[in-house]
Amino acid sequence: MSAELLYPPPQISPADSLRLSQQAPQVLKISVSSSLPYPLSLLTSSETPEIWTTIENLLLSCLRTGDDKSARVCLDRLTERFGETNEKILVLRGMYQEAFAEDNKALEKSLERYDKILEEDSTLMLVRKRRAALLKSMSRPTNAITTLVDLLDVSPTDVEAWAELSELYFAQSLYSQAIYCLEEVLLITPNAWSVHARLGEILYISSPSDSNSLKGLVESMRRFCRSIELCDDYLRGYYGLKVSTKRLLSELQTVSKSALSDPQNGDLAPPSVKTVEKLNEAATRKLAEIVRRSTAGEAGWEGFDPAEVHATRELVNKDTQTIDR
Amino acid sequence: MAQPVVQTIHRDPALFYWILLPITIVMILTGILRHYAMILLQSPPKKQPLPKLREARALMRGINLRNNNAVLSPSSFRARKAVTIQAFKEGAFLADPDAKGKPKGNPMTDPAMMEGMMGMMKGNVAMMVPQTLIMGWINAFFSGFVIMKLPFPLTPQFKSMLQSGVGTRDLDVRWVSSLSWYFLTLFGLQPVYNFILGSNNSASQMSQQMAQMPGAGPMGPEQDPDKLFNAEAENLEVVEHHWVLEGVEDRLLARWGM
Repeated sequence: MSAELLYPPPQISPADSLRLSQQAPQVLKISVSSSLPYPLSLLTSSETPEIWTTIENLLLSCLRTGDDKSARVCLDRLTERFGETNEKILVLRGMYQEAFAEDNKALEKSLERYDKILEEDSTLMLVRKRRAALLKSMSRPTNAITTLVDLLDVSPTDVEAWAELSELYFAQSLYSQAIYCLEEVLLITPNAWSVHARLGEILYISSPSDSNSLKGLVESMRRFCRSIELCDDYLRGYYGLKVSTKRLLSELQTVSKSALSDPQNGDLAPPSVKTVEKLNEAATRKLAEIVRRSTAGEAGWEGFDPAEVHATRELVNKDTQTIDR
Repeated sequence: MAQPVVQTIHRDPALFYWILLPITIVMILTGILRHYAMILLQSPPKKQPLPKLREARALMRGINLRNNNAVLSPSSFRARKAVTIQAFKEGAFLADPDAKGKPKGNPMTDPAMMEGMMGMMKGNVAMMVPQTLIMGWINAFFSGFVIMKLPFPLTPQFKSMLQSGVGTRDLDVRWVSSLSWYFLTLFGLQPVYNFILGSNNSASQMSQQMAQMPGAGPMGPEQDPDKLFNAEAENLEVVEHHWVLEGVEDRLLARWGM
């Protein structure tokens, strides 16, 4: 039972959260401290780092499902073990307060609390990130962006913060800033295929639909290619590749021959129409295969996100219809 | 005829119970005690102040830019390179911009240095004191006993190692004296500690000395951050850029066999 709580999946569905948080009574039943007096208790306690990770994840699950009581117990246990001033405990306590805050006023209060903590010790990166997350959930993106920019000035090797900042900029339609942030993420984790694909998506969205959008589109397509190269069967990569090659095909036809051969500003020349056609074809084939196999529930094809598969099916169907006409 | 006479010494079996076992047990117990003493004496790692943190991470970012430049498009890389090099050369990320170009002060006067040395002192004292005590104890109670015979022959070079405290010239090397048994356990108990305390213990003297080896630890001369930044800027200037996206579509098509 603890294995799932020990290593929960990075993206957790509400149903899974509920299931995990319902394990609370069993997990909390385990007592780690021993009943013997101090020096002897060291010898008999069954304490392991895993227990604390489990309790922490249980706390997060309980916060997601609104299980106030179990969350409180988890938090109290962690506080008892690691002390009030521990950085992580500060953050978890803040999350607890945020999760059960009743109105905006209570959220403002947690914000003040974070500010006070940071005044005393500004090196607490986790608290700073928590503050940015709180600002984001209070729908004050400008403040969240400022907080993150301050954080990244001090700690420019923080992947999480760069990625979050990119999403915030993207939500504000500040595409070039979002792209810059994602490039920073890639500089730290050069082989993250999901980041390559995300960068491709933003490039695709940001490139305007007039004729000088070619450069962005081409790079977007290449980013998708790279993400597929790094990870076979990456659905988002194929989806993006199909969409971007389709638009690229129509754009390439309108663009004059001279623009094609001009390597803009030292960047790469766009690929030939033939290559793009082949890529489009391959992406369509692969997408159809993924939809077919994952819908049929074939072994080895079940890990895809149902929502993404559904969207892919729409895309593939739409495409075949236009061909039929 | 030339067969050497096998030396036989009749030992009291009580020697085993009253010398060999006590020494071994005491050695193991001191190791465990030392492990817990080290844990108690350890001071938590000191937090770095914010400007220092910024300095170190900015440098890391520069190194990342140099190592992973392949993910950037040429124009993007050029822009970043220019900005980074300029900032590095101006010392924009230095924790202490006023100290730029000045020689480093005496490390002895630096309180942070002193703290590091204190930590090492504590470790050494925790090592030395029990060692001296036990050595004295063994010498006082158990010196001069021959306590066991090794089951395999050895060359005479081992004599000084195995028979310290027993001054007989003609004694076969295979006989081990009590003092030597102490030394053997002192250096040879690491696997036992690993078994009892887990592999990351600080019970043995050897592991302590090993840990202090690399990079001379906190005593090593700290490098001038300004020089580090300048060196990194130079590295960035000469780096050859290659975009990983170049020809990616052809690579992909080749892989699919199209």
